Amino acid sequence: MTEEIVKTQNLRKIYDQHSEKPYEALKGISFTVDKGDFVGIMGASGSGKTTLLNILATLDKPTSGTVEIDGNDVTDLTPNQMSDFRSKKLGFIFQDFNLLETLTASENIALPLSLQNTQSSTIEPRVQQAAATLGIADLLSKYPTQLSGGQKQRVAAARALVSNPSIIFGDEPTGALDSTNARELLETLTHINEQGVSVLLVTHDPFSASFCKRIMFIKDGKIGDEIQAGNRSRNEFYQEILEKLGTFEQ
Amino acid sequence: MLFKISLSGVKARWKDYLVLFSGMIMASAIFYMFEAIALNNKFVLSTTVGQNAKAVFVFGSILLVMITLVYVFYANNFLMSMRKHDYGLFMMLGAKSKKISSLITLETLVVGLISTVVGTIVGVGLTQLVSGVLVNSLAIPLKYFTPFYLPAVWTTLLLFMVLFVIAGFMNARTFIKTPALQLLRSESLSDWKQPKTSRLVIQAILGIVLLAVGYYAMYDIRHLLVTAIPIGLITIVFGTYFVFNSFFVMLLQWLQRSSFNQKGINSFTIAQLKFRISDYTKILSVVSLLFALALGAITVGVGFQNDIPELANGSNAYAIVNTNPSSKMTKLIDQVDGKTVSNYQQKIAGKTVYYRIDQFKEKPIFYSSFVMKGKDAGTAKVEKSSTTQLANPNSEANRQFKMLQNPTIQGLRVRFVSDATFNQLGQSTNQLQLVRVHDLNGQYHALKAVHAQQKAEMGAQAEALGESFITYTTMKSMFASMEFMGIFLGIAFLAMLASCLMFKILSGADSDKIRFEMLNKIGTRKQTLRKSIRLQILGLFGLPAILGLIDVAFGLQMFIRSGLLYHAYGTFAYSAIGFVVLYLIYFGITVLIYQKIVIPETSTEK
Repeated sequence: MTEEIVKTQNLRKIYDQHSEKPYEALKGISFTVDKGDFVGIMGASGSGKTTLLNILATLDKPTSGTVEIDGNDVTDLTPNQMSDFRSKKLGFIFQDFNLLETLTASENIALPLSLQNTQSSTIEPRVQQAAATLGIADLLSKYPTQLSGGQKQRVAAARALVSNPSIIFGDEPTGALDSTNARELLETLTHINEQGVSVLLVTHDPFSASFCKRIMFIKDGKIGDEIQAGNRSRNEFYQEILEKLGTFEQ
Repeated sequence: MLFKISLSGVKARWKDYLVLFSGMIMASAIFYMFEAIALNNKFVLSTTVGQNAKAVFVFGSILLVMITLVYVFYANNFLMSMRKHDYGLFMMLGAKSKKISSLITLETLVVGLISTVVGTIVGVGLTQLVSGVLVNSLAIPLKYFTPFYLPAVWTTLLLFMVLFVIAGFMNARTFIKTPALQLLRSESLSDWKQPKTSRLVIQAILGIVLLAVGYYAMYDIRHLLVTAIPIGLITIVFGTYFVFNSFFVMLLQWLQRSSFNQKGINSFTIAQLKFRISDYTKILSVVSLLFALALGAITVGVGFQNDIPELANGSNAYAIVNTNPSSKMTKLIDQVDGKTVSNYQQKIAGKTVYYRIDQFKEKPIFYSSFVMKGKDAGTAKVEKSSTTQLANPNSEANRQFKMLQNPTIQGLRVRFVSDATFNQLGQSTNQLQLVRVHDLNGQYHALKAVHAQQKAEMGAQAEALGESFITYTTMKSMFASMEFMGIFLGIAFLAMLASCLMFKILSGADSDKIRFEMLNKIGTRKQTLRKSIRLQILGLFGLPAILGLIDVAFGLQMFIRSGLLYHAYGTFAYSAIGFVVLYLIYFGITVLIYQKIVIPETSTEK
């Protein structure tokens, strides 16, 4: 039996619940992500995908329903437990890199480890290892302003990877990259995924999505459809995504 | 239409505008406070330090105008940082840059006018409050001083309006010259550069050496005389700048290499602080110097006052003297606490005043002197005097003793005779009552009543008595206005520098938001984020304060070694504590506002 890394049950999120016009962003979402999976969540803006990601990432709480990550129910954690959980179990890659420009690449990557009060003797080799995985070992002493967009995003990916998270969440990680750098990053994510790290991407870009193994389409707060890459080539999968989007968005 | 939209932009950011307004109000209020004294010639010149003080105020005004300039500049930057995006957007959507620049000029002027008017009113109130408290607690009578002083009102309004007009035009220019796209993206630009190590090292050494030279110059004022002041000023100003620009940066770099850097978000905290310090070098240097000036003003002002009791005791050992005290006087003397009363019998015959020698042998009287050098410098030395000393017209004991008698007989010869001789004299016997008081400050009000009674009984002659209380009151009125100005200006400067720093720090908060949001996302606890903010702001408040404290500690040497102040360090300790407490309040407010701005709200409620 495969291990489930994410399991959501009947997730609902209602904003302004007690106001005259409550807005239901998520209308009962249930799905699972298996360990080692590479899942994409696609949807137009306003579809609820950011709300879903925030809840999965323990940045927000659902109005009802449960989220389990790596066997832990994260919906009932206190704010401190949520913070600790994020630093230990989750990795993040954001659209705008979110690197701290006053820290070197190496210090940026080391942040999640320092947060867990990892011994400084073990921080160094783990940063080196993450940097090697992403091919940025020679950039470690540079500041973000000295790096290109693609390099920055790889530093961000190394930061997400360094704490050996259960899953890496990507929020439009290629949004600010040109096509060459976007492809490089996605190939790197695929490579990371092949080593057993689960990845969940939220994107509206079909090219990014085509790197996933499985894609869920979300519309008006519900999961509308789901497709698997299976044994098809990435190009074939890309075509199917485009078709799906064409029908799905109508 | 655009005007309406831009007004709604103001409404949407009313919290930021509140920060802007309170900062500007403080600035104009403090400027008013200063000018209320500085421009009031009648008041300044009525004080004993008169002419010298005038020069200090001219210098102080120039300094304050410069600080105000910097302050308005920061405030304006803060305003622009809030509005750039909005106005940039309007321009993207096709609004004419002329229209936009007139809008921003108008906004700058309106913000300036409102805050200056309100600030001046607040300034009058603050002046009333601070002077009221000082007059009551220090028992200083202030002549010619009024909290509402029209020339100061005009000066404040004029200066600030001129500054805002300049700022308004500068802003308008920015909008005309800068492309809309750049305005929109202005917040995301970062110009952090790692400084070169060699430059850092040279500057750090230079900074420390300059400070050392400055401190030594102040210490060695006996040899350098007046040149100590310009040497000190120049070296300390530049030394402070270099120390901030490099020494502290190096210190933080050293911390970055230690394992401390890898605990929690220390790496972030230190890096932020390092970045901030090099970005804030100028303002931190100004804050540090102002801190020193303000604290120095208070310490020196209060220091003179604190030397008064010893100076008075050094003039004579007895606080009060009476010849044949009336019953009313006796009652008043009874109300003085902590006193020793001695009585001696006196007869006046011809040009000689006679005393019973046995009374003086039994209860020797004291004479005093003020020690000016050595380890007891600044204290009154009180010695017993023998009757031989007392009878010797060339001795200090004799001189002081004679002054204790009624002014009419102070010029006569004194003789100490046996009881038998004394009894043989036919004249009537007077009683000379000498009162020693241990705490002149504490018994001020009781002694004042006694002295008033002396004046009632003796008229103008009461002022010619040799009692130390007269010296005490004379000096107190001499130094009181200095103390008042010292404390008043110290507080005004402190408020100014702390608001200036607060403003600068808060204006950077907006761009920090995204960093703290990211740290929150990667799993930093809220309390860790708060701690990081506390540490960063503590660094920015603390380092200039520490340097300022050191400046004052050395600067006081100048007053001590030139014999102007004696108990300066005792006063320094007290004033520094009070000062630091006020400063910490500013620190606390800054931290709270900063945390409110940058720490993301938790949306964890279900």
